[in-house]
Amino acid sequence: MEDLSQLQEAVITGDATVVREVTEQALAAGHEPLKLVNEYMTPAMDEVGRRFETNEYFVPELLLSARAMKAGLELIRPLLIASEHPSAGRVVIGTVKGDLHDIGKNLVAALLEGAGFEVVDLGVNVDPQAIISAIRENDADIVALSALLTTTMPSMRLTIEALQEAGLRDQVKVLVGGAPVTQKFADEIGADGYGSNAVAAVELAKQTIAEGR
Amino acid sequence: MSSSRSETSSGDSIRIELLPLGEILSAPHGTSLHDVLFAKGVEFPCGGQGRCRGCRIRVIEGELPLTDAEENLLSREELEAGWRLACRGIVREDLKLDLAQWETPILADDSEFSFSPRDGLGVAVDLGTTTIAAQLIDMRSGKVLGVRTALNSQARHGADIMSRIEHATARNGQEQLKRMIREQVGDLISKLHTVPDESHPPLTEVVLVGNTAMHHFFCDIDITPLAQHPFEPVDGGLKVFHASQLGWELENDCVVRFLPCLGGFVGSDVLVGLLATRIHEQESPQALVDLGTNGEIVVGNREKLLVASTAVGPAFEGARISMGMRAATGAISGVVVQDHKLQCRVQGSVPPRGICGSGLVDAIAAGLELNHIEFSGRLAGADTLVLSPPVQLTQGDIRELQLAKGAIAAGIRILVQQWGEMPGGLSRVYLAGAFGNYINRSSAQRIGLIAFDPDRVYPAGNTALRGAKLALFDDTPDLTSCRDILEMVEHVTLNSDASFQDIFVEELQFPS
Repeated sequence: MEDLSQLQEAVITGDATVVREVTEQALAAGHEPLKLVNEYMTPAMDEVGRRFETNEYFVPELLLSARAMKAGLELIRPLLIASEHPSAGRVVIGTVKGDLHDIGKNLVAALLEGAGFEVVDLGVNVDPQAIISAIRENDADIVALSALLTTTMPSMRLTIEALQEAGLRDQVKVLVGGAPVTQKFADEIGADGYGSNAVAAVELAKQTIAEGR
Repeated sequence: MSSSRSETSSGDSIRIELLPLGEILSAPHGTSLHDVLFAKGVEFPCGGQGRCRGCRIRVIEGELPLTDAEENLLSREELEAGWRLACRGIVREDLKLDLAQWETPILADDSEFSFSPRDGLGVAVDLGTTTIAAQLIDMRSGKVLGVRTALNSQARHGADIMSRIEHATARNGQEQLKRMIREQVGDLISKLHTVPDESHPPLTEVVLVGNTAMHHFFCDIDITPLAQHPFEPVDGGLKVFHASQLGWELENDCVVRFLPCLGGFVGSDVLVGLLATRIHEQESPQALVDLGTNGEIVVGNREKLLVASTAVGPAFEGARISMGMRAATGAISGVVVQDHKLQCRVQGSVPPRGICGSGLVDAIAAGLELNHIEFSGRLAGADTLVLSPPVQLTQGDIRELQLAKGAIAAGIRILVQQWGEMPGGLSRVYLAGAFGNYINRSSAQRIGLIAFDPDRVYPAGNTALRGAKLALFDDTPDLTSCRDILEMVEHVTLNSDASFQDIFVEELQFPS
C-alpha cells in the first residue's frame, strides 16, 4: 500500500515520472484501475486545487500536477474504456473568436482531463461554427468558453446565439470564464455557469454533469 | 486564469475606482474617504482639515455631497466639474474618482540631445494611455521653454487600452473619445504657448507620439480592428493635420503630425524611443523595455528590429497589491538585506504605511535572498512576509508580481529567441518610463524581471518624449528618420509563438 500513497504524493508534487511508474506497478500488481483514480489521484487533484485556491500553489505547480495526473490517466483510461466505464463527461473547450490567449484555457482543459472528462480542445480564436461541428461530432455535454480581453467577451454572446440558431443550445451546458468575465456577464449572455478560476471551472463542470444526470 | 481578482458585491461594501490606474478599492459604507485614500498614498497637506486644496478629487461617477469647506476653497466652475476635497468625503455609494494629485509625478524629459537647429518653435507630445506630457521647444537652440503634464482625460472611460477600445466599439464612444483627446491636447498646447513672446519665433510644428490606440483615437481612424485578433491597424501611418482641422486655434495654423505606428498595439512612442536610444544604429543587439501597464519590448540592431507588446497589469504601480501605494510619503521604496535582516527605506520621515513598485521588486529580491520566499514564489513557512510593521506582503501579492514579471521576462526571451544567433547576448538593455528610473537593477535581475547584468541595464527616462523632440528636428516631409526605422521593424505577436506558454510558465518562477 505504500506504493499507492506515493501515487497521491507524486500527483500533488507534479512528478509525472513517479506517477507513471507507480501506476504501472500498481496495475501490474492487479490493483483496480478505477480505485487508483477515485481513491488516490482524484483526492490528490482536490488537494492541488485547495492549495491553488489558498495561493500556496500557482500556475506552474497547477500545470505540473495536471501533467502528472494526465500521465497516470493515459495508462488507466484504456482499461476503463475496455471495462465500459463511463467518462465524467464530454467537454468541447476553446478560446472565443478574436482572442488568442490560451494559458487559462489550457489549464482548465488539463484539469478537466485530470478530473476524468473527455476534452476536445479547439484551441484559440475559435469560430462559433467550429464549436457547433465539434458538439455534433463528439456528442458533447458541456461547451467551455474562454476570453481574456474585454473586447472579445462579446464573442461569447455570439457563440451562444449561434448554438441557439443551430438548435443545439438545449443539448449542451455552456460554461464561461477568463479574467474579465464575471457572473453578471455570464447571466446576461445566458450562459449556464461561470468559473472564476481553473479549479472553480472544474468544480462547476462536475456539478453541471451531476445535475444533468 | 484569474487567480486573485476578488468581486466585491456585499451589501455594505462600497466600490471605489481610482483613476487613472483603474485601481478598485472597497470600503465599508460610512468610511471617510480620507482613511481610504491615505492608505493608498494620497497626501493631505493640511492634515485633512479642509483648509487647503491639496487633496482635490474629481467625482466622475457617484455623488459626494458638498460641504462648506469645498464651497470656500473651490471655484464654482470646479464644483460644477465635479471637484471635491477628498478629506471631506464620506463613502456612501459607489464612486469613480480622478485624483488631481497624481498628475504631478508624470515623467518629462530634461536630458540633452543632439540636433540640427531649425527655425521656429515646436511642441513634442507624448500621448500615453494614462498620462500626457508635452514640451515647448525653441528649435533654434533646442531649449525647452515649457512643460505641461496631465492625466489622459479619456481614463474615465476605462483605465487600460482594452476597456477604452470597448467603450468605443460596444458603446459607440469613438467620436466622444476623439473629441476629448483633441480638446485636451489642444488645451495643453495653448497653455504651453500662451501669448507669443516677441523674442521667440512663431510656433511651426507639433509632433505627437503614442500607442496605436491613441493614434487611432486622435486621428479618427476606425478602432474596431484593434478589438480582436489579429489586432492589426488598418491605417497606422503618419498623419499630418493643420491645427484648425483639429479645432485648435494656434498661431500660423501650424502643422501637427502624429507619427506612424510600428504594428499591433506598438505605436510611435516606441518608434521614437528607438530614435532616442539609437538601437537601430548599433552593430551589437540591444533592447528597449517599457515597463508600463502595457509592456513594450524591442530587440535588435541596425539589421533587424523585433517589437512586441505584452499585458503587464498595474502591479509595478502598486495597484492590486494588498498594501500597495504609489511612491509617496510613507511608501517603502527600497529594501536591502543587512545582517540577515530586511532593512526598509521609507519615503519621508514617517512610519511606513505601504509599498510602491520599486519597493516591491526589492522586497521580493530580499525575500529570495533570505530564503523567506522559495523559487516557486511560495512563502516559506509563513502566511506573510513582514517588511516593516504594519507593512507586509501576502502570498497573493507575490503572485501578482510573478504574473507581471513573467509577462515581461517571457516577452524579452521570445524576441531574443526569434531574433536568432546572438553571441554575447544583448549588449545593452534600456529601461524606459518612470518605473525604469526607480527600480533597483540588481533586484530586477535577482527576481528575473530584467535578467541581465546590471552593468548592461540603463534607465533611459521618458524616451517617447525625448524621441518626439528629436523627430521635431527632422524637416524632411515624410520624416526620413522614422521611415527608415519603420522599414526595419517586424512586429511579433507573442501569443502566436509556439513556445509562449512554456516560456511564460517558466518565467513565472524566480531564478534559482
